[in-house]
Amino acid sequence: MTASTPSSSGGAPSVVASSSGARTAADRKRLRRMLWPALFVSALFLLAVATLDTGGAETDGERVQRLSESFACPTCDGQSVAESNAAVAAQIRNFIRAEVSDGATDTEIRDALIVGYTSSVLLTPPSGGVSSLIWILPVLVLVGGSAGVGFVLTRPRSGSRDATEDDEALVARARASIDDGTVEGAS
Amino acid sequence: MNSILGYGFTMLGLTTSLAGVAAGSYALITKQHRLLRQVRQWTWLALIAAVGAFTVMQVALFQRDYTVSFVQSVGSPFTPPLYNFAALWSALEGSIILWTLVLAGYLVAVAVKFRQRVTDPLFGWALVVMYAVTAFFFGLMAGPTNPFVRAVVSADFQPRGPNPLLQNHVLVAFHPPMLYLGYVGFTVPFAFAIAALITGRVGEGWLVETRRWTVIAWGFLTFGIVLGAWWSYEVLGWGGYWAWDPVENASLLPWLTGTAYIHSVMVQERRGMLRVWNLSLLCSTFCLTILGTFLTRSGVVESVHAFSEGEVGTWLLAFFAVVATLSVGLIGWRGDRLRSPGAIDSPVSREAAFLANNVIFGALAFVVLLGTVFPLLAEAYDGTRLTIGRPYFDSLGRPIAFVMLFLMASAPVLPWRKASNELLSERLFWPAVLGVAAMVLAVALGGRGLYPVFTFGLGGFAAGAAGRQVVLAARRQGWRGFVGRTNGGMIVHLGVVLIAVAVAGSESYKTDRITELLPGESVTVAGHTFEYVNFDGNENDRRIHLFANIRIDDDEIYTPGRTIYRELGQPVTTPSVKPGFSEDLFLVLDEFSDDPEGPIRLRVIVRPLISWMWAGGILMALGTLLAVFPGSRRRGTEAVSAAVGRDVGGNRKGKREEGPSTPIPAGVASTEVAPNV
Repeated sequence: MTASTPSSSGGAPSVVASSSGARTAADRKRLRRMLWPALFVSALFLLAVATLDTGGAETDGERVQRLSESFACPTCDGQSVAESNAAVAAQIRNFIRAEVSDGATDTEIRDALIVGYTSSVLLTPPSGGVSSLIWILPVLVLVGGSAGVGFVLTRPRSGSRDATEDDEALVARARASIDDGTVEGAS
Repeated sequence: MNSILGYGFTMLGLTTSLAGVAAGSYALITKQHRLLRQVRQWTWLALIAAVGAFTVMQVALFQRDYTVSFVQSVGSPFTPPLYNFAALWSALEGSIILWTLVLAGYLVAVAVKFRQRVTDPLFGWALVVMYAVTAFFFGLMAGPTNPFVRAVVSADFQPRGPNPLLQNHVLVAFHPPMLYLGYVGFTVPFAFAIAALITGRVGEGWLVETRRWTVIAWGFLTFGIVLGAWWSYEVLGWGGYWAWDPVENASLLPWLTGTAYIHSVMVQERRGMLRVWNLSLLCSTFCLTILGTFLTRSGVVESVHAFSEGEVGTWLLAFFAVVATLSVGLIGWRGDRLRSPGAIDSPVSREAAFLANNVIFGALAFVVLLGTVFPLLAEAYDGTRLTIGRPYFDSLGRPIAFVMLFLMASAPVLPWRKASNELLSERLFWPAVLGVAAMVLAVALGGRGLYPVFTFGLGGFAAGAAGRQVVLAARRQGWRGFVGRTNGGMIVHLGVVLIAVAVAGSESYKTDRITELLPGESVTVAGHTFEYVNFDGNENDRRIHLFANIRIDDDEIYTPGRTIYRELGQPVTTPSVKPGFSEDLFLVLDEFSDDPEGPIRLRVIVRPLISWMWAGGILMALGTLLAVFPGSRRRGTEAVSAAVGRDVGGNRKGKREEGPSTPIPAGVASTEVAPNV
């Protein structure tokens, strides 16, 4: 009850204002302040619906598709087993389909394909060893970059700098030319 | 004859550009203005040489002059005229001719544009750098990739024609030239950056001079990449448009750093900050074009595009090393002049948003580069062969893309220096409403999944922010509200949003089915019926085309098939696509039997929203065009944040005061302030 008091007291004047026909900028401001939380909540709600309401557990067909997308077609470049039209990709797809209906686990299928086609059949390199660098390095770059930006943001302003000798000379020359009267409009 | 003539033009170009480098540097150092004027005129000679070499090769291709080695490798009597013309860039040697031609074109364009300023050392050194790059490419043509080598036509010579994938779609004639106009165009700002470092005039002058050149190059590169994706989608027959193939990555890398640059450059123009960073970005962009060319043209990574091999790799790598060393060295040497006088006031400001943009673009460029070269490094290190593909790029790219969309939504409404919460609440309100509305629509239409729905929401948010800017500007300035860098840039943003929505929709909601069909049978996929009518085929001197007639939804017939080019023998899958506003139906003939009454294996891919991607690409190109149109102000700093009625004059004055010890930028000097001392 107490928590809702500020918002209802904040909302009341705008109702009065709108009933009188003329909305002031202050009313719009207040209205926006009320609607922002509503926007946030609806966005979160929609994302939750989109994430959770996905129609139950994964079917065999979806599992075959997901697994096919994670293996590289050995004779093509860049394309997955799911995407490629190559004969060997079709073979691997059939193998995965058969294994899935036999109830094999993801790891079993993966290991069997590595035995058959070496680990280059994986579209994402196996974790561990040197290849874990491909995950570590981007994170380091991102953290380093953000730290760099943070540094720039918090750096004290370098507003005043000591004049160099060149600057002094420039000013001296300018003063001299003003004194000479060689610069128009100088007083 | 063609060999000799072509080689003659190459040597003319090489000599001219080497002379340009030598005489130009000499004239600049000894301040011989007359010689400098002549050096500027020589650019025409370089262009004549490049046009000459290009024309000679086209004539040789047209005449099917097999005594020219390049024509022997890509010429054939049966190639239709358009693809015969495009055959010039269907292999390494010819594509270097195209590169050189575009480069010589830019060289002359720069010389003409800055003709009044010949004796300005900034321009002079930029010209010398451009001559040096031109010399390198003429050098490639003269040596390692000489396309004009005289070849003996042996008795059993069989002309083969270009790669079959490069002679069955009209986009082949447009995608490479567009891409090269972009790739090569970055040479111009790079040359001015180096010139700024050499002359020590590292203020904002060179930036302002090359601003429009950079945007134009960027626009061509963007459009070239989108056309490449379109070509891949229409031709390669796997239903996708981007495979994270090394060649695709090679074009994306300079695009990413170039995009970072055209954003961060505004911070420098406006606030005099980020000097080292901008120079580094520009040099990286140029280096990455060379590195990309090395990766794709040296045969170091196999890919569908890497049609060639040869010693050119060594040359490109050496050139890359020289450019990188020179850039780093010069930036280090000028370090003392590059210290920026300004600082950032608040993390909630446009300049801070641009900084975040740069971190994000830099991180994505790093991910793409790492994913591309890591398999090479791993193989060199301990011989392991590994593959890095879509799952890797997707899992790192997705969160980065989300941040990008969020920044696209918030940065355009942020003022420079500092923003109050009240201001943000006001300006972001309608964009946020649009974002939530987009999510409501997506969920109501049955869209599920965190990634796509979040993308739609952020896309709506970003589109709202960009739309707000365009609407406000149009209301204030009429048609001028659509031109100029800021407004054009917002239209580019709208194009990016369309592409993001297309990627999310087409990847997340695609249906991919492979079915066997006998004549007369039909299958229903994602609510559409596909009836296999009959098997058919036709042939001519050049190719045999076998295809299945598929009737979609009891209406039109589509013909996925396979084409066999007689000279090459290798069959090529030719998909058939029914495009649509909300979804594309993509048909591939996967397998067929020798018996026309036998079964076929048909692959049906239904991809929602994919046509939005091509629309987005076109919108980005259009936005770029509008952005290079002069806006309300021709020179000097654009009042990017004028929308809120700030005191523009005061800001500009303030900017001047922030950099007391910097030399006055040349561009500003020529119009507003008499050059001092």
